[in-house]
Amino acid sequence: MAQIGSDVFFSTIGELNARLVAKEISAVELARAFAERLEQLGPRYNALALGLRQEAIRQAQDVDKDIKRGRLRGPLQGIPYGVKDLLSYAGQPTTWGAKPYAGQVFDYNATVIDKLDGLGAVITGKLSMVELAGGGGYRYASASLTGPGLNPWDRTRWSGGSSSGSAAAVAAGLVTFAIGSETSGSIVTPASFCGVTALRPTYGLVSRHGAMALSWTLDKLGPFARSAEDCGLTLQAIAGKDSHDPGSAGKSFYYTPQYARPMKELRIGYAPVDFTDRAEPPARAAFAAALDVLKGAGAQLVEIQWPQFPYGAVLSTILAGEQASIFEPLIASGKVEQLADKAQIAGLKASLDLRARDYLKAMRIRRLIQQAFSDQVFTQVDALAAPGRSGPAPKIDQPLLPLPGAAAPSPAAAPRGPAGLAGIIQAGNLAGLPALVLPCGFADNLPVALQIAGAPFSENLLLSIGRDFQSHTDWHKRRPPGV
Amino acid sequence: MKLTRRQVAPAILSPAIVIAQTAAPSPDAELTAARERLKSSADALSAAAVPMDTEPAFQFKA
Repeated sequence: MAQIGSDVFFSTIGELNARLVAKEISAVELARAFAERLEQLGPRYNALALGLRQEAIRQAQDVDKDIKRGRLRGPLQGIPYGVKDLLSYAGQPTTWGAKPYAGQVFDYNATVIDKLDGLGAVITGKLSMVELAGGGGYRYASASLTGPGLNPWDRTRWSGGSSSGSAAAVAAGLVTFAIGSETSGSIVTPASFCGVTALRPTYGLVSRHGAMALSWTLDKLGPFARSAEDCGLTLQAIAGKDSHDPGSAGKSFYYTPQYARPMKELRIGYAPVDFTDRAEPPARAAFAAALDVLKGAGAQLVEIQWPQFPYGAVLSTILAGEQASIFEPLIASGKVEQLADKAQIAGLKASLDLRARDYLKAMRIRRLIQQAFSDQVFTQVDALAAPGRSGPAPKIDQPLLPLPGAAAPSPAAAPRGPAGLAGIIQAGNLAGLPALVLPCGFADNLPVALQIAGAPFSENLLLSIGRDFQSHTDWHKRRPPGV
Repeated sequence: MKLTRRQVAPAILSPAIVIAQTAAPSPDAELTAARERLKSSADALSAAAVPMDTEPAFQFKA
């Protein structure tokens, strides 16, 4: 029996696959070790929704048989992973992180789980999340059936939401990769706060069949992993046409690092103010150094003007309209009151009052936003760079929404000068753009990250930038203390 | 005089309970605030000019 050292828990997909194929380690040994670790340490970060140890070992036994017979199915064969608990896994609870759905069981798998299963990846558990992926808007990190997501770098800090468990589990070495979802920031935010590489794919590239719907026109599924390379390998496995998802773009994704364009040919747009005045002071040095890495690799950094739209208002209106329709039965039944976060309960109720004309106006402005990105932004640059979040993770008890009646922030307190790429998370989600999150340093001993966004279906370009960045830095290899 | 834990508990916990109750907004206040957030978004949308021939992104494709 092979020794499972701590390095195994922080190995990349390629490293583990090489050891499996060389028979230095078996898939069963790997599955057992990861499943036990997830069950032991997952609760420490409120990251575990459901352990699947027995299922993982059974699946791993099949993988070992395949490897023994020389049936190799690619780099994910035998690799342990977890999924956000908004994905259905047949016969097991799928809670959507919310008490009203605590006993919910589906009889089919989400498409992404079937795809990973077909390639021999081994699911070891379901990972915690903000209830209903944050639908309605939540005030506190405690808005979850499993309690506040605790950051592996400092458990007094939030792991981010709504894919809290996916990010924390990868950061703490509890899984090799994880699947999360984003409607507006739910991949970018926890990846940034936990110091994990993650990819929000283009809208429609990855099937959402079997995933909880929060917003049909905004929801996306994507990977959290140890590196840009691992995100590429995982995306290739989960992307593709699916007739069960009406939003499917009908496109496949082939990870092709061999065809990467040289960094010297790339123009990357950015707004200096995002990395200075609009960044939190402790994070500025890390952000400046990250820009230097891109410049040093030969990329042309181009200051860019951002199309001016009310991104936040457009996104929140579309989200309100769609979540109201999706969760109307929950609200009408009164079970919405079982949610943990009072602001979220109110937000869902209020969304029933949204006017049709406001939803339609938002969708019309969204059309203009998509055009502006296509005609104005990606004609000037190949990609955009901005901080993942402006600073490190907040304390877990810090309000994320103002209290009712609280005074609006003073205009004097707001950053002065140009807006930079403020609203890039909302804008990117409205336009369906992919974004890659790259850990880029620390502020107050907590991770901070860069995000690289690109035109629709430019994932290979973003991954090539990410690979280059990570060949010059080791932030993505850092481990939280005590794990 | 000997006090049991049950007798001591209210004395220890009551200030915390009072603080929590006064700090927690009522459901009505929460609902009003949520509606105000929606209205604020609607106001921002109203201020944005959209050409008449702009159709909504109904069939959304990236």
